[in-house]
Amino acid sequence: MTRVRVTAPRSVTSGSVTPGSAASGSAALTGGRSAAASQEAAEESDAGQLFVRSLIRSQLRLGLVVALGFLLIMLAFPLVLGLVPGLAHSTIAGLPFDWVLLGAGIYPVIGLSAWLYVRTAARNEARYRDLAGDK
Amino acid sequence: MNPVVGVAAFAAVSLATAVIGFYGLRISRTTGDFYVASRTVKPWWNASAIGGEYLSAASFLGVAGLILLSGTDALWYPVGYTAGYLMLLLFVAAPLRRSGAYTIPDFTEARLDSRAVRRVTSLVVVLVGWLYIVPQLHGAALAIRITTGLPAWVGPVAVVGVVCFTVVAGGMRSITFVQAFQYWLKLTAVAVPIVFMLLALGGGDSAAAELPPPSTANPTALAPAGPYQIISLLVALLFGTLGLPHVLVRFYTNPDGQSARRTTLIVLGLLSVFYLFPTAYGMLGRAFAPDLARSGQADALVLLLPGRMIGGVAGDLLTALVVAGAFGAFLSTTSGLVVSLAGVISQDVFGGSVRGFRLAAVVSALVPLGIASMTESQALAGSVGLVFAFTASTICPVLLLGIWWRGLTDTGAIAGMVTGGVLCGSAMVAGSVLGAAQTPSWLAQPAAWTVPAAFAVTILVSRATRGRVPRTMTRLMTRLHTPERPLATER
Repeated sequence: MTRVRVTAPRSVTSGSVTPGSAASGSAALTGGRSAAASQEAAEESDAGQLFVRSLIRSQLRLGLVVALGFLLIMLAFPLVLGLVPGLAHSTIAGLPFDWVLLGAGIYPVIGLSAWLYVRTAARNEARYRDLAGDK
Repeated sequence: MNPVVGVAAFAAVSLATAVIGFYGLRISRTTGDFYVASRTVKPWWNASAIGGEYLSAASFLGVAGLILLSGTDALWYPVGYTAGYLMLLLFVAAPLRRSGAYTIPDFTEARLDSRAVRRVTSLVVVLVGWLYIVPQLHGAALAIRITTGLPAWVGPVAVVGVVCFTVVAGGMRSITFVQAFQYWLKLTAVAVPIVFMLLALGGGDSAAAELPPPSTANPTALAPAGPYQIISLLVALLFGTLGLPHVLVRFYTNPDGQSARRTTLIVLGLLSVFYLFPTAYGMLGRAFAPDLARSGQADALVLLLPGRMIGGVAGDLLTALVVAGAFGAFLSTTSGLVVSLAGVISQDVFGGSVRGFRLAAVVSALVPLGIASMTESQALAGSVGLVFAFTASTICPVLLLGIWWRGLTDTGAIAGMVTGGVLCGSAMVAGSVLGAAQTPSWLAQPAAWTVPAAFAVTILVSRATRGRVPRTMTRLMTRLHTPERPLATER
């Protein structure tokens, strides 16, 4: 695939840097050997923006999928309690089932969703680094 | 109850807080230290500190009290408080850290390139902070009155005094250590008495035989919550956490976006463990202290239950521990809020100097003290729930759309914040004027309609003012979502 470099957007964006926003943190942390400037330029080229946009899209999709999955499971809890007669008042180890389910059962679901998200989000970023760093 | 117990417990917690504050003073010298601990805090410390700051009077006293009052319906509160952090992880944690801003107004100003947006956001943040400090001070008044017999105003005044002292002395660096300590203090304070109470129960004939089923023992005649109330409450708690100023400022102390996510993951674990215990208190309270609900002292359940179930010296010691944990909760949440408010006020009004920060800290603690002394305490978890609804209707839409939507404009952001603030604020005022018994549920739990309204207005107005999308937007979106450079150059 041939890559066309369009210079116009680069000069526009690099000309209108907000004071203080670009100079902080990340660029300063870069080692002396690496070319932070060229990396930044690559991100602002059309191809770079394509990668950035696809990264944002995949992170957003991931967030929405995990949130939706969690919400569905959470809503299923009271539905199950309401629809299965007698379930709410049955007991587990002397404790009523509805209390155990709502008071303790949801937390592992939250933890699992969070863990899955952190893993996948890091994977998305690793893929982006491979793409963006591959010149 | 022995009044010495309460005083001693409060004195011990205040002293420990002050000592850690002073220890931190030695390391914090520059303005950067004062604001965000120079971003060098490790995830475990940071997560404990976030947990310590987040677990307020509402979590420590309010959740158990509300469970005592309304049973399984109240179980949604701790679930929502925790799940709010999941939403924060999914949509806010890493991008916000990468934005490089110190406060929410910093973020909105950088994202939308507009001073006007900054001013409106600052106003909302300060309002949210003050609204959130007031229930903490009500909790302190309640705890002092119940446990020591001293006049109620002593509690709030003491809390504000200790908080001002530590914040002025050490800034954020010491706050991080103080907060991390507070989490473990609160967990110990809430967990150890439960263990002893269960042992005491087991020491009788048989625990299961003695424990009446809590779902059948309803101490009040409260009607069960309908689906609308539960959904609206969950909307408020899930989306409200995203916008809490004292929660957000913590993310800037992570070194990068990845560690911001890891920190949030640990926080979720810490919160899940903590909330098991207030739930247990509520359950035991329904069985053994239903009279507290009838006499309107439900919020004092956590403070009174250990003394009731275990008498004598052991009971006094456990009560002292619980009181210490409760004051830990008031102190940590209040100081976290004061630090973040002081950060906002000092940058907007005093030019961001260390002196200005100290002055702003005192201002941001004294105003809610005035409000608290003029208002009556309601159910703690309920009033904090309303603050979440307000945050969800104002800061949350701007934050979420700012991070994920390229089309957001400054006009849209301001219109959305004003709409959400006015709608939710009027509902809160109407609710307090009408009183809890007369308020219809759509006013008592407004989040289900105010949050969508704020989102809709933000989006529609942004669409209408399409030309005002800032030119720095592309650059900023790239920065929010791409991993930090040092990692990128390692390969």
